[in-house]
Amino acid sequence: MKRREFILTTSILGISTALNSQEIKSDDTLSWLIIDNIFDILFPKTSTMPSAKDFNATLYLQMNSKHKSFDKDDLEYIIQGAVDFNDSFPNFLNANKEQRENIIERTRNSEYGESWLTKLVYYGIEAMLSDPIYGGNTNEKGWSSLNHQTGKPQPKQKYAKVI
Amino acid sequence: MMKYDICIIGSGAGAGPIAYELTKLGKKVLILEKGPIYSEKDFSKDEIAFVRRDIVTPKLKDEYHVIEEYIEDGWHKFPTYDTGWSFWNGNILGGSSNFMSGYFHRLKPNDFKLKTVYGKIDGANVEDWPISYNDMEPYYTKVESEVGVSGEITKYNHHEPRSTKEYAYPALEEHPIVKLFDKSCGNLKFTSYKVPRAIISRPKDNRNPCYYSNYCGSYACSSGAKGSSRASLLVDALKTGNLTVKAESFVYKLDCSEDEVTKAYYFTKEGNKKEVEAKLFVVAAQAVESSRLLLNSKNKFYPNGLANSSNLVGRNMIFTGGGIGSGEFDESNLSKEELFTQGLFVNRALKDWYYTDEFKGGTVDFLFEHANPIRRANGLKRDDNGNLLYGKALQDKLYENFTKKRVLHFEVFTDWMPNDNCFVSVDEKYKDKYGIPVANIRIGAHKQDVKVGNFLAKKAVKVLKQMGAKNIDMNISPLPSANLQAGGCRFGDDPKTSVLNKHCQSHDLKNLFVTDGSFMPTGGSVPHTWTIYANSFRVADYIKTIF
Repeated sequence: MKRREFILTTSILGISTALNSQEIKSDDTLSWLIIDNIFDILFPKTSTMPSAKDFNATLYLQMNSKHKSFDKDDLEYIIQGAVDFNDSFPNFLNANKEQRENIIERTRNSEYGESWLTKLVYYGIEAMLSDPIYGGNTNEKGWSSLNHQTGKPQPKQKYAKVI
Repeated sequence: MMKYDICIIGSGAGAGPIAYELTKLGKKVLILEKGPIYSEKDFSKDEIAFVRRDIVTPKLKDEYHVIEEYIEDGWHKFPTYDTGWSFWNGNILGGSSNFMSGYFHRLKPNDFKLKTVYGKIDGANVEDWPISYNDMEPYYTKVESEVGVSGEITKYNHHEPRSTKEYAYPALEEHPIVKLFDKSCGNLKFTSYKVPRAIISRPKDNRNPCYYSNYCGSYACSSGAKGSSRASLLVDALKTGNLTVKAESFVYKLDCSEDEVTKAYYFTKEGNKKEVEAKLFVVAAQAVESSRLLLNSKNKFYPNGLANSSNLVGRNMIFTGGGIGSGEFDESNLSKEELFTQGLFVNRALKDWYYTDEFKGGTVDFLFEHANPIRRANGLKRDDNGNLLYGKALQDKLYENFTKKRVLHFEVFTDWMPNDNCFVSVDEKYKDKYGIPVANIRIGAHKQDVKVGNFLAKKAVKVLKQMGAKNIDMNISPLPSANLQAGGCRFGDDPKTSVLNKHCQSHDLKNLFVTDGSFMPTGGSVPHTWTIYANSFRVADYIKTIF
């Protein structure tokens, strides 16, 4: 399977869109927009759990992926995955909720797509359950939803910087 | 250039006692530590920093190991920057002892003479130790008081002799599930062994007792209760004014004349090369790295590596064999309040089969799943068929698992059988960011490790079943424990069959000692740390007599 190939058929929705792969900007804005919208599907609000927006998943990933300890291969993979996703599904951002979920399900059913979504799920979990000092887990919503009692002391500095 | 009395490479459990004892005698001691210096105020329960990222260990792309595994047709090499299987265990002052769980078990008298007791095992290089349990006992006791060991003695068949009646510190507070564990063991006529911990339960000097943070294993301790080399020994050694610590100093080579080590060469954080002289050198960089250093230090006197006239440096590496298992508990087992009590310890083990009539058995420790919510949640992201979960299905699974059940784990410890296919070597093809050959670790395991592991795991499963656990699982494997390393410079009386003498002194170079777990010909069926501490205190006493 080609690395970039989420599915064999693209434009499955058959509707035109203002956004397509050619419009991806060098600053990855579109990739992050796609990732943001996919996080909404990966982590929807439920009766017991906060949504990706609630725990700031996209901003968490954007901010922390700049740190030197972040796996640069992961960052490249995530961004390239969004580019490839857009190649395969250029209408995703204009699609309705049901159509988007259908696209994500189709993405999961391809080897590359599943691997890419797995990365996003992992970093979404990080955003949900890391200390709020990193910008996710807003107001400790992730922890409180799971009745998780964090250990003390909580960090005063990010990344174990020596005080 | 200043010439130190003693230069120690590393600062963990094998290093701390040497520095502690010799600085008290007025010796000028230098520690060269690969990592930075942290103190209690720098530690927090930050899963990102201490568990998920390479902050207190090197980035694997910069510094790595090569793991050699047997796959189908032969041995294949896998650099850990590709696999993510890190063999670093904590590179800060105090080393991996900062991050240990501190399940402390002594070895027992027969552990010092396994070959005599059980005979030669085909395919294994088991050897008796050149010392006996009686030689080590006073030092186990010393660790109890100096490093700090808490617990309550359990009477059972295989208990080792003790020179004191009780542990130095009272037992830590226990989780309510312990009552169910004890009762279940009683029904099965198993002994519920109360596990001593290297965690103090009441204050000691400047160290505060355990405050039950619920984030213990994998995290450094913010109160100083955990008996890391840093908190329990090096802080006091520094107070003497005789200890110098050069942090972020990676020792890549030792130099020597025909009969003594003369210099240590190291890289600073900035990548500058430096050297230092000392009258006596102690290598305690954790077993894999200690062998790597000696092998990388070859010269005209020792073309196969420093202190390696036996050609045994790096050979007979040992880990702990075994594996893990688990069972789930919910409100049908304990009240919600009891089940979700946080921070208190289980501290129970099975040791009735430490020895059997036919073979050397081992230990099974029980503990609740570590608190780490990111790791736990990440482990729940697939369904029973291995498919990735997302959306409501994922969210619901996280909620159900975190709020309605707790997982009790067990860890099986067997004697890793030393064998010809478990060793450290260096390969010029694989170099770290400094250009120094990395350690190649061949991880061949003896079939007995898995056999004994399964035998013990079945006993643990019986206990979980008796307790009413659900979804009981076990996974015994021949893979090594990356965090529990020993061997590679085994000690013995014969220079042809051992690297070190019984004082952990090189047979070749009289001012070179190796005091991490490298000296161990066999590892016992327990984590090695208590024995490494005790042995280092023993070696310190010997160094006092010759220095």
